[in-house]
Amino acid sequence: MNNKIKKPKIVWLQAITCNGNTHSLLSANANRLKLFLDSFDLVYHPSLTTDTLLNDLLIEKNEIDFLLVEGAITSNKDFFQISDQGINEALKKLVLKSKYLIAIGSCASYGGVHQKFEQNDDICGLTDALDETDISYLTHPIINLTGCPVHPEWIFQTLFSLKEYKKVPLDEKGRPKEIYSYLAHHGCTRNEYFEWKVEAKSFGLKEGCLFYEQGCRGPMTHSNCNKILWNDVNTKTRAGMPCIGCTEFDFPRNNMLETKKNIGIPDEVPLGVTKRAYLSLAGVAKTFKIDRLNEKIIK
Amino acid sequence: MKTVDIVERIEGEAKLICQWDKEKISDVKIQFLNFRGFEFILKDKPILDALVYTPRICGICGQAHLKATVEAIEDIYKNHNEELTLTNKAKLLREIGLNIEIIDSHIKWFYMFIMPDIVKFSNNSLEEYSALKGKKWLEASSIASETIKSLAVIAGQWPHTSYMVPGGVVSDPTLLDLVTMQNYMDQAIRFYENSLIGTNLDTYLSFNKSEDLYKVKGDLKDFITISFENGFEKIGKSYNRHLVLGDSLSFEKGKISRKLTKNIDYENIEEFTTNSFDIDKSKVSKEAYTWSKTALYANSFYETGPLSRAVVQNRSFVSDIHKHYNDSMFTRVLARMDELGFLLSKTKELIQQININEESFIKPKVSLKDFHYGIGQSSVEACRGSLYHDVEIENGIISKYDVITPTVWNLGPGIDNKLSTSQKAIVGIDSLEKAKLILRSFDVCSVCTTH
Ligand code: SF4
Ligand code: SF4
Repeated sequence: MNNKIKKPKIVWLQAITCNGNTHSLLSANANRLKLFLDSFDLVYHPSLTTDTLLNDLLIEKNEIDFLLVEGAITSNKDFFQISDQGINEALKKLVLKSKYLIAIGSCASYGGVHQKFEQNDDICGLTDALDETDISYLTHPIINLTGCPVHPEWIFQTLFSLKEYKKVPLDEKGRPKEIYSYLAHHGCTRNEYFEWKVEAKSFGLKEGCLFYEQGCRGPMTHSNCNKILWNDVNTKTRAGMPCIGCTEFDFPRNNMLETKKNIGIPDEVPLGVTKRAYLSLAGVAKTFKIDRLNEKIIK
Repeated sequence: MKTVDIVERIEGEAKLICQWDKEKISDVKIQFLNFRGFEFILKDKPILDALVYTPRICGICGQAHLKATVEAIEDIYKNHNEELTLTNKAKLLREIGLNIEIIDSHIKWFYMFIMPDIVKFSNNSLEEYSALKGKKWLEASSIASETIKSLAVIAGQWPHTSYMVPGGVVSDPTLLDLVTMQNYMDQAIRFYENSLIGTNLDTYLSFNKSEDLYKVKGDLKDFITISFENGFEKIGKSYNRHLVLGDSLSFEKGKISRKLTKNIDYENIEEFTTNSFDIDKSKVSKEAYTWSKTALYANSFYETGPLSRAVVQNRSFVSDIHKHYNDSMFTRVLARMDELGFLLSKTKELIQQININEESFIKPKVSLKDFHYGIGQSSVEACRGSLYHDVEIENGIISKYDVITPTVWNLGPGIDNKLSTSQKAIVGIDSLEKAKLILRSFDVCSVCTTH
């Protein structure tokens, strides 16, 4: 390792959060985490580093390369204080020293679960919490790494890309295109059932698609969960849990574990497909009674 | 004299306000100044959505919240004489999942949250423990991420899955999946043996008296040595009252005040807000200083967590250490690491018991929406201690959801001149550094404490 090359400095700030993104990061593939720690200088993380306190960072003049924020923002000091100040104040001070600002998870991106605490009506994501002057020194638009939690690999890929190429293309919601142009549906092991409209008869089965009854949002949710896998080994939909759309703007919605229907037809159909087209396709697909798909996989 | 100190590197942040008298802490307030309002968030939501929400109360013990929610919902069925049938396989898969989460948390806690502070008291420089760089820190984070894979096999991912649903679990593991899970457990056992205790797991599990402490090697020995050099077995003592609300194949419920009883009645649980803030500002009392509430059982403060579980269940090694050193900081930390070994062996055994031919899920015959009104309660053992959920629904919609987390039992404010468990453990200490260590020995989770 060449110690002469200065490693980019990372500061990880925690706002209103459950710490899930931190634990997602700590659950990353160990070699990847090690490479990450070798390649960047994580100068501050409230639960991991020991030498620096948040207050030190706020006072010192040094520049921060990457400011990573986990959790939603509020200006309400009655509910949320960190090192004797509002989280929005701390955030603003740090953003002014930073080159890149990255929202870690759906709460930091759009408010997420925490925004549902309506008694505090100014909980929001980074973009809404900051105005133009706050972000005037940033060299890149705010990057939203959505997900509840975010996949650790998405964090690594984004940081290494920025280190190498200085920018990443974003979609209209501020998410890196190369991660969020996929749908959670891509790569799901239940896809063949989806094609032939074979629904999972209930929870607890390897067989069947979770779209028709269990509320799976895979076909409408931008994420590559089924492409990179969680904890290196699995995904919720592969295991049998419906995708709840945690990478989207509207997460969490109501009735996430069931499919809303209108006269027996799912209210929302896969992205880019008209309801009529979906219906006729489904009708045709259902006429093919494929025995293999209606039996146990392992007999 | 008064000192105010901010404690980071717990889950979240706490503020420690100490009053000093003759170089000793005479009074202490532990403030948690973040409040996320989960009980308010849950209100008016469809009850099944609680399975998605409550794991997000905490990123580290989400599976405990999930299990508490699913069991509270099943209790609603039971209270309507519609008790759901669960297969043994489903029960096992739930408990195994929760245990793996506890195992993961214990590993991380020792190496990331407490040892970096403990080693500051050592006469030797133990650089290997330093955060993010030290060999031991990296090894621990690596084994934690390997271990949690065994949960992802049945749950799809960790953190934040909702694989437990009323009636069972959503997944249907194959035999090879189970073997894969065993393999990850074996890897964790190797780590426990080679790094943490420096001896064979079975040998360790046969330890039954405090003298056996001398046989412990590895990193735990570093902890033991530093502890005795600094008198950690004499500090951090509280009421020595212990509470275990959750019952499972791994733990037994019960409480110890003067003597042990296995009789636990939820009726005895009470929560107070005398010293806590209220979201309705007009109701905030002058004494309020934290967002945490106060939880009492039968009008008394109790400690909850690995030490309480070990003594209630009378696991011999910890029980004997406890006889010598009571609920000291030393015993508390040691009990947590002992539980790690106990759970590794137990969880492996539970995985072996699964019969893959059983159903994973049996669909409830009635929908929760059909109940005009329903109530349910549940309690599970989370990594930090007893977690309690209490829910009320009307036509399938949540009308009330109350959560008491383990850290509320341990770290909530005292009441009526009675010090809370952690306050009592800290009062009388002669240094701020030690006070902070004692606080940490309770495995503080600020996010859970306020929720
Ligand atoms: S379960 Fe969900 S992600 Fe998988 S194929 Fe069906 S709709 Fe797609
Ligand atoms: S599959 Fe869906 S719910 Fe699951 S993590 Fe990915 S986007 Fe979120």
